[in-house]
Amino acid sequence: MSEIQNQIREKGQAALEQIETAKNLPDLDQIRVSVLGKKGSLSEALKTLGQVPAEERPKLGALANEWKSKIEAALEIKKTALEANQIEADLIKTKIDVTIPSRKVHVGSLHPITTTVRKISETLGRIGFDVTVGPEIETDFLNFEAVNIPKDHPARDMQDTFFVGPGVVLRSQTSPVQMRAMRAEKWPIRILCPGAVYRCDSDATHSPMFHQIEGLWVDKKVSMSDLKGVLGFFAKELFGTDTKIRLRPSYFPFVEPGAEVDVSCMLCAGKNHKCQVCKGTGWLEILGAGMVHPRLFELAGYKSDEVSGFAFGMGIERIAMLLHGIPDLRLMFHGDQRFLKQF
Amino acid sequence: MKISYQWLNEWVDLSGFKTPAEVGDLLTARGLEVEGVHNLAEGLDKVIAVLIIDKQKHPEADRLSLCKVNTGQGEYLDIVCGAQNMNKGDIVALAQIGALLPNGLKIEKSKIRGAVSMGMLCSETELGFSNTSDGIIILPEKTPLGWKLADILGLEDTIFEIKLTANRGDCLSHRGLAREIAAAIGKPLKNPKVSTLNWQGSPIKLELNAGEDAPQFFGCYMEGVKVSPSPHWLKSRLESIGQRSINNIVDVSNLLMFEYGFPVHIYDADKIEGGVIKVRRSERGEKLPLLDGGEIETTGEELLIVDGKKPIGLAGVMGGGNSEVSESTTRIFLECAEFNPTLVRRAAFRFSRRSEASLRFEKGIDPAGLREAIARLSDYVAKVAQGEAMGSVSAELPSRKQLHVKTISVSAGYINDFLGTHLEEAKMITILEQLDCKVSPAAGATNTGQVKILSVNPPSFRLDLNIPQDLAEEVARTIGYDAIPTSIPVLTGMPKSKQGNLAAHRLNVIDEMKDTFARSGLNEVLTYAFQSESWIQKFGFTSTVKILNPLSEDQGFMVPSLLPGMMKAYQENERHHFGSEPLAVRLFEVRPSFEFKGEGAIAAKSETETGVTETWKVSFLISGPRFDQALKSERGEVDFYDLKALAEELFDSLGTKGIRMRAADASLLGSLSHLYHPGQSIQVAAGKEAIGFFGRVHPKLEAELKLRQAIYWGEFLIDPVISLTPQKEGVFKAWSSFPTMERDYALLVEDSVPAENLIQSAIKYGKPIAKVVKIFDTYKGAHIPEGKISIGVRVIFSDEVKSLEEKQVDQCSELIVKKWQDEFGAQLR
Repeated sequence: MSEIQNQIREKGQAALEQIETAKNLPDLDQIRVSVLGKKGSLSEALKTLGQVPAEERPKLGALANEWKSKIEAALEIKKTALEANQIEADLIKTKIDVTIPSRKVHVGSLHPITTTVRKISETLGRIGFDVTVGPEIETDFLNFEAVNIPKDHPARDMQDTFFVGPGVVLRSQTSPVQMRAMRAEKWPIRILCPGAVYRCDSDATHSPMFHQIEGLWVDKKVSMSDLKGVLGFFAKELFGTDTKIRLRPSYFPFVEPGAEVDVSCMLCAGKNHKCQVCKGTGWLEILGAGMVHPRLFELAGYKSDEVSGFAFGMGIERIAMLLHGIPDLRLMFHGDQRFLKQF
Repeated sequence: MKISYQWLNEWVDLSGFKTPAEVGDLLTARGLEVEGVHNLAEGLDKVIAVLIIDKQKHPEADRLSLCKVNTGQGEYLDIVCGAQNMNKGDIVALAQIGALLPNGLKIEKSKIRGAVSMGMLCSETELGFSNTSDGIIILPEKTPLGWKLADILGLEDTIFEIKLTANRGDCLSHRGLAREIAAAIGKPLKNPKVSTLNWQGSPIKLELNAGEDAPQFFGCYMEGVKVSPSPHWLKSRLESIGQRSINNIVDVSNLLMFEYGFPVHIYDADKIEGGVIKVRRSERGEKLPLLDGGEIETTGEELLIVDGKKPIGLAGVMGGGNSEVSESTTRIFLECAEFNPTLVRRAAFRFSRRSEASLRFEKGIDPAGLREAIARLSDYVAKVAQGEAMGSVSAELPSRKQLHVKTISVSAGYINDFLGTHLEEAKMITILEQLDCKVSPAAGATNTGQVKILSVNPPSFRLDLNIPQDLAEEVARTIGYDAIPTSIPVLTGMPKSKQGNLAAHRLNVIDEMKDTFARSGLNEVLTYAFQSESWIQKFGFTSTVKILNPLSEDQGFMVPSLLPGMMKAYQENERHHFGSEPLAVRLFEVRPSFEFKGEGAIAAKSETETGVTETWKVSFLISGPRFDQALKSERGEVDFYDLKALAEELFDSLGTKGIRMRAADASLLGSLSHLYHPGQSIQVAAGKEAIGFFGRVHPKLEAELKLRQAIYWGEFLIDPVISLTPQKEGVFKAWSSFPTMERDYALLVEDSVPAENLIQSAIKYGKPIAKVVKIFDTYKGAHIPEGKISIGVRVIFSDEVKSLEEKQVDQCSELIVKKWQDEFGAQLR
């Protein structure tokens, strides 16, 4: 019996030593098979159990199982250790240069005219304005007469208009949309009309195609103080809370009274006499505005003694250029991606 | 318009202002925008009068002279001068060393071709007096040497540059602006004493034969006139506001216009035949030589001034050359008349002769002021040309003899409501009265009860005051727009109409299209809506909307498609791209395109219809590497399938229903077969409507445009897509919680069989469990017969309510394969 006992102990001991010195997972697996496998050394030893007397068998069996567990535990520990080593080794093999520039997909962009229109319409949308659009080729009637600029009116000098046929023009302002909107729906009207407009003018500060956005608010008892309130809100939201507005009397045939609207310079707030943006004046002229001329209400089929309203309009390029510091208007229309990708 | 401070000061006392700039601020605040304030003496403080005591030719340069000048202060300076018009003994203007001239030139000691120059002799241009000059200024004899030029010329004035709005014709004069200032500061206007004319004894009679188009005409006959250069005061007054002095007669007529705002004309009375001057409409083909040397032929539209025999003036625009005052003229006839603004404007445009005079007529002159204006003019003639008024004559229609006085009814309450102010009625009355309105309070009733109505009669010169709102503006600009309070208007009304909702949906879809393309890596571009005809035609399009007055041929036609502009944008990027770095271009645009589909030429059909169709389109273009940045081996090049993905992503993202795509060969491409590769293009339909194509640019076009790389592009109509894009929010759809099963097939088919057909067939016959069909591989080449292709197809089966059984999938799979075999001759490999 003690011979078998010794055999179990020896073989077990030998196996533990082999396990301890195993170099890698395949070696370890081989050891497992050579010890615990069907024809493994420990198994072979147990086969001889049949030759020992029955009363000794449980003791020997227990011994054999004890060693089996020991070896299995050792195998497991070694396996974990070897696996950890393997991962470590693989880490080194799979190391890459993470400073190589990434694989970048193209990031798209929206044109600054689009983003500016959205910014303006989101801002004014919060106080009740809806966006509406209209045709870019318009009748002379809607482009001029409906905004109180009859034929031969000196105010036609203010705009050089492209013609495509008798009485048909490329709209020189977005105002025709206002008349279309008023003719289509009854007041109250609260609309913003963004879009392309055209004038025969081309230099660093004028483009023959550019964009305007106009606002119109028509309701009972709308007053000029409402106009000031809305424009003040707009200017602060768009250019910052410290922004002030200044209205100066002016003339546009479709409003009475009319005003030019300046906003305080967002760059220098009037503190830099050499400011490039406001030329040292502290003010930027960005808007024309006024109270809707009753003639427009009559043309729209409204009763001019029932309603009043205000309207305002601005060049979108100018706003975009101010918001983004764009130096040259013409960049807007060249399609150069070095420009487009910045917005 | 240039306005002189000194001149204004003669009309209204400006002593209350600290500086001329303050006057400018006041005018701007009242809506008369002052764009610039310019001190005439600025830049002239180091310019003095000197005497040329010697003049020699420069030894090194024929065109230069060496002058020695006496400064009158014990100094004798050497000056090199390039002008030729001065001589020894002349007194001239010297810019001394250190002077900074109005044109920005800084004078320093210099050496010119070896000769030292201690300053510069100045011309009018260099001193900012004029844009042209005939050499250096020669000052009068006996000008004291060493005096500053500014003092000699009396340049102590300040000039305002005023940008007047189109409605304020009454302010196109010094008197008009002085009137505004007087009203603002509550001081009286300093009206000059004007002689009373004797309205008898003119040898020239007047006839008005143009009805209300020429309602009044005043004339004054003068003798003993001596035409000569203007006196210094007159010259410098006109020069200060940028006008050139001609002679005393021309100058006084200009003086009167800039002072009173009335354009006037002076004839040589001896050249007027028949003893009569008439105003009438022209007849077609009458010839009139003009003062400027040109000749016009009338069209029958314009007003003419004629004498007994011939036309002698284009009314309101320019006098005739055949009745012009000359140096020998001694008898003259003054004209001050009123003409229809529209006719004057049209004539001035028609003959390209817009002038200071026509501008004033266009904007309307004070119908009550002509009598005084002509008297003032005759006073000026008497003062500067020794003429004597022998007799005057007038012709007035009843409408002018008894001028209609406008009455505007308005209440203080209305003005306060309209402006959002809380002003006292008395304050408003004061404001209006200071502006020369007559205000008479009259009791009146409105439906809201007893409200005090004011009857306001604006002065005759305020042609712009007609309605209550005009008066509100007068009040507003007088109190200052800053004094108007601020409020946020009340939101009233109801939700949007159905029509309004549809319009909003349309704009939302357009916004979403832009967002989708931007997310997919495309850059939004805006291109000009006009291009040259040849460029548009290069792409197989024809523009039907021609701009009649384009800025250039390059911008002569409205685009029927966004693609010509898109290609320009692509080329712009190629143009500035250098080196071997690959060029990646990703662009899209959303805009209308323009077409005229009607008969004949474009013309307005009604108040609101142009007959031109505006079709909103979206165009997109990709080219170059797939990645913005990647290793060379990884970055790839975009191809047709990247383009297709963009289109599919667009419709998926919008949730558009009923979009169909089919391969577009040359016959389907039709007139656009020049644009797209016939083997790499797709036609897109929204419902039953074909809405456009996308595909690779045709290699021929690529070659023609010398493009560096393949371009993939497309263009769709937007509105059919919008109408198939649901307005409702997307609804959640559950997915099957049971495992899916897959079957892969390698099919051998004719290579003309579209893969899409295999997919559709599998979906159709695999219903309801064949959910997804994918093409995972295609192969041509070794082991595949010529004309055939091997296609790897995977079908994914699933059921929403139970686990699939092998048998069920096998049955379904068999049917799919059978149909592939029957319909497409497919063989399983």
